[in-house]
Amino acid sequence: MQTAKELRGKIVSKAVRNVKRGYADDDSKRGMYRKGIRLDLQRSRLMTESFKETDGQAMVLRRAKALANLLDKMGIFIRDHERIVGYQTSDKNGIYHPIDQNWKSVLRLVNSKAGKSLLDKAGRKELDELCAYWKGKSMSDRHQEALPDDLKKYWTYEGTFLWSQLSELGIPDYENLFKTGLKGRIDMARKRIEEIDRTIPVDYVDQKEFLEAVIISLEAVIRFARRYAKLAEAMAKKETKRDRKAELREVARICSIVPELPPQTFAEAVQFFYFIHLIRYVEYSTLGVGVRIDQLFGPFYEKDLKAGRITKEEALDILQLLWIKLNELGLVYSPTVSSVYGGVASLQAVTIGGTDEKGRDVTNDLTYLALEAAKQLQLIEPSIVLRLHAKTPDKVYDSAVDVIKTGVGYPSLFNDEALIPLYKRWGVPEKDAKNYAVTGCVYIEIPGKNVMRRSVGYFVLPKCLWWALHQGVDPKTGEQRGARTKDPATFKSWKDLLKAYEEQVRFFTNKMEQLERINLELYEKYCPRPFYSAVVEGCIEKGKDARKWVYPSMLHHFTQVIGGTNVADAITAVRKVVFDDKLLTLPELIKIMDKNWAGREDIRQACLNAPKFGNDDNYADLIARDVHSRGEAAMETVKDRYGFSNRGDGSAVSATYGLAIDTPATPEGRLDGEPFADSTLAPLPGKDRKGPTAVLNSCAKISTVDTYNHLLNQKFLPKFLDDDLKPVFISYLKTWKDMGVPHIQFNVVDKNKLVAAQTYPQKYADMIVRVAGFSAYFVDLSRGLQDHIIARTEQSLK
Amino acid sequence: METGVVFNIQRFSVHDGPGIRTTVFMKGCPLSCLWCSNPESQDFAPVLLARDILCQGCGACVKACPQGAVTLTRKSGRTIDRRKCDNCFQCVAACLYQSLTICGQTMTVQEVMDEVVQDRMFYKNSGGGVTVSGGEALAQSRFVLALLKQCQKEGLHTALDTSGYAPWEKLKSLLPFVDVLLYDLKHLDPAEHKRTTGVDNAVILENLEKAAKRSEVWLRLPLVAGFNDSVGHVKKIARLGKSLGVEKVSFLPYHEGGIAKKRHLGKTGDIFIAKAPGDKQILKLKDIVEKEGMKVTVGN
Repeated sequence: MQTAKELRGKIVSKAVRNVKRGYADDDSKRGMYRKGIRLDLQRSRLMTESFKETDGQAMVLRRAKALANLLDKMGIFIRDHERIVGYQTSDKNGIYHPIDQNWKSVLRLVNSKAGKSLLDKAGRKELDELCAYWKGKSMSDRHQEALPDDLKKYWTYEGTFLWSQLSELGIPDYENLFKTGLKGRIDMARKRIEEIDRTIPVDYVDQKEFLEAVIISLEAVIRFARRYAKLAEAMAKKETKRDRKAELREVARICSIVPELPPQTFAEAVQFFYFIHLIRYVEYSTLGVGVRIDQLFGPFYEKDLKAGRITKEEALDILQLLWIKLNELGLVYSPTVSSVYGGVASLQAVTIGGTDEKGRDVTNDLTYLALEAAKQLQLIEPSIVLRLHAKTPDKVYDSAVDVIKTGVGYPSLFNDEALIPLYKRWGVPEKDAKNYAVTGCVYIEIPGKNVMRRSVGYFVLPKCLWWALHQGVDPKTGEQRGARTKDPATFKSWKDLLKAYEEQVRFFTNKMEQLERINLELYEKYCPRPFYSAVVEGCIEKGKDARKWVYPSMLHHFTQVIGGTNVADAITAVRKVVFDDKLLTLPELIKIMDKNWAGREDIRQACLNAPKFGNDDNYADLIARDVHSRGEAAMETVKDRYGFSNRGDGSAVSATYGLAIDTPATPEGRLDGEPFADSTLAPLPGKDRKGPTAVLNSCAKISTVDTYNHLLNQKFLPKFLDDDLKPVFISYLKTWKDMGVPHIQFNVVDKNKLVAAQTYPQKYADMIVRVAGFSAYFVDLSRGLQDHIIARTEQSLK
Repeated sequence: METGVVFNIQRFSVHDGPGIRTTVFMKGCPLSCLWCSNPESQDFAPVLLARDILCQGCGACVKACPQGAVTLTRKSGRTIDRRKCDNCFQCVAACLYQSLTICGQTMTVQEVMDEVVQDRMFYKNSGGGVTVSGGEALAQSRFVLALLKQCQKEGLHTALDTSGYAPWEKLKSLLPFVDVLLYDLKHLDPAEHKRTTGVDNAVILENLEKAAKRSEVWLRLPLVAGFNDSVGHVKKIARLGKSLGVEKVSFLPYHEGGIAKKRHLGKTGDIFIAKAPGDKQILKLKDIVEKEGMKVTVGN
């Protein structure tokens, strides 16, 4: 068994550094990854090799065969501390890039200052050759080709939204996989083929090809596990240390059973899970975990414990080894996308707590063990999501606070009482709603269902307001890019501005959704996911790839909204200075604002001094309530490919900093390019002056059920969670829950320490901060993003 | 309706009684403790606070001042001649940067209640409530009585933080509406007390004894190194506390918060040089009090 410190020493951090803000460089000299990280071409190479051989066959079979080629030929290895095995790259320092999705951005990356160390000369040459094959065939190429001319200009990022391809998540149906093993799934697929052979439906060929692809994929996965079994056995033979020899034998034993057959022990279940999780990443670049880890693994642990097969310490060790695996996945992002993923590895979040489908509390020994693993290891990922509800035991709060106190930024707390009614409104059946899990920042999913969650992209709401103040015309170019809303000179009150804003939101949502519809159609055609389809509920049963149908609710489709508080405070400032105090007219204000307030600091200060959200003041808070709910209603008028409404989501990642650069000055007193409030419920930095209770009171005025799953960051000094004050902090959390605020998470760090870390990064290399729905090493963030975090209000003790 | 002069309503107070509280700070204090951390609370009338660090040197206050009390110098921004200033606060209205603010506001009981009830849910879950503090709350006892009555009517837990320096009748009238009395003790020696606070401690000690019979009392000890932090002195206090049935003692080590505030008030007289006791000493003192069977908290 290894100590947490020893294990931490084994980690290769693959977190991405933000090297851009929009198109502008942001500390790009640092490089996009830490030293030693290499772009691993094995996936691209083996995928391309297979694709060249399968030209002309059905795409679903081609992708299954490509996956099989990968799993059969990938370089595999087991590191000396490992007992949970599997890598998606050929060595521990590798990161991979999904060349089949997009090759231009990776080419740009390795040829830029930020990414040139990722590949050597030979690698660069090989990458060029591989890219040549995918030219015109990658999903990004296909998308751009398919777009009608008038949509093309909206595909290009300009500051209002960053349409993105990457954020596709999903939680396999582990619960049932654990009952049948992959063998059960293969048998099911074979049986389905026989059934369609008898009925010959109109989509007979489609179904048969899909089911065959399922079988090819799953059989390849079983072979992949066997390769690890063989490797472990060979290593065991050579191993001289007796303990390690036994460990390797155990790895060999486990990998020859799972994932083909159902797991019987805790260790088998964890390894089973990790193979499936890993191969999701090999098949298709994805993010998140989402598994309800206590509910899923708890029964295995308890069974082992009863049988005397395991001790608590051994279970903790396995859990920590899994933690390390989850920490090491990593992904390649394009430099522009790095502006929204500052510090992210691959958004691994696991869920604990909450209720089962019948509403019973699920807390078990593993709930506490997961918190213990997190407390000891203190990693940026996996982040822990803790679901709280009326019957959550006090001990869970207590253990959670101990982890929060370490400063790692999690567990991030989710309020069942606020969120489940929201899911019901989205059309999620109650029993599924009660089983929700969180995969990334605040991405909500239902384990095992074909939710195939996709983020359409990042939607910069203050830019929509800015368009509303300019009738959709860019004053610099004269181009009509947004909706032609009414002339602000005719506005009679702030309500007219809100209306124009809603119109802009609807207009741009429509554009995004059009891009997305075409994209989804192309994905159905050219990028089926036979492996993923085989491990979620319903695809084999229907004989349909996961991309051909979808979980029936508006749960699966969302847009990450940023800057809602800025919009609210901007409209409040207009109400105050233009319509109430009549300091100047709205056109006059716009003119001053458009010059970035030059020479009119007096007006800017008047705007800054107008009431702000987060101080429990209805003057500002009720406008915030309307901005959120009416903005959401405007988004929901736009339907997706399956007829469900588009909707917002609070997973802002670092976009509140990264993308704010492309929004000029706005009426809340914000300067051109200045970062937005850091999350959907966050007050503007430094503008919440009445303390943390007032912040929660303000947040509670925003109806979750009328809006979306929000995100709220709060910053506290460490001493507030200590001894005497811990019960007070817990009572604060309970009040948060009672008030129906959907989410909260904490940065528990002394501001001075953050400032010191800017000066002495080496000394603070391990210091973790919560950025948005994820934690990151502070030193991996650009200076600007660091400042953005420092600027957040520190809730102090009075 | 009864009105009072309030200089701050501090929500999320966690050191002024049990749980999460809102502390209502009443303006004006008959004591003038050398170490006072809230010197802006001493005057009974609203006062002008000038925070130089926020001044942008725009000169709006110079134009606004009818007395010609404000001047602009290139070097130090604006300066205020406090002798000329008649507290009309027109400069405050003109200041864009919140560099000039008013400390102290006349409020009705209802206005205060409107703010304190907003955190009701936090009080409920934490066992918290409302604390009335100062300045010296007893100096505005009619208003405080009305406020505490109203809190009790609303079902809110109440605490009164006082120096105890007032006629007994005033304190007595409030006690039926106080759940916890937070009682400050500066020094047991009459001469030392008089020297550092300006007032005699006889009435304070008498009132404490009487109040302890009627109410739950927590003692609060501002600790200044070399002044009241000796083992002997704290032992005496601990014994006194025990004899009165005190449950809890809070140590409030001296901090320099008051120095900047004095500057904001334009008080440029002698600066009180003091230090908090060292951590070791505090632990020692904590031990003494705990041995007498009372709980101790440290710091604010």
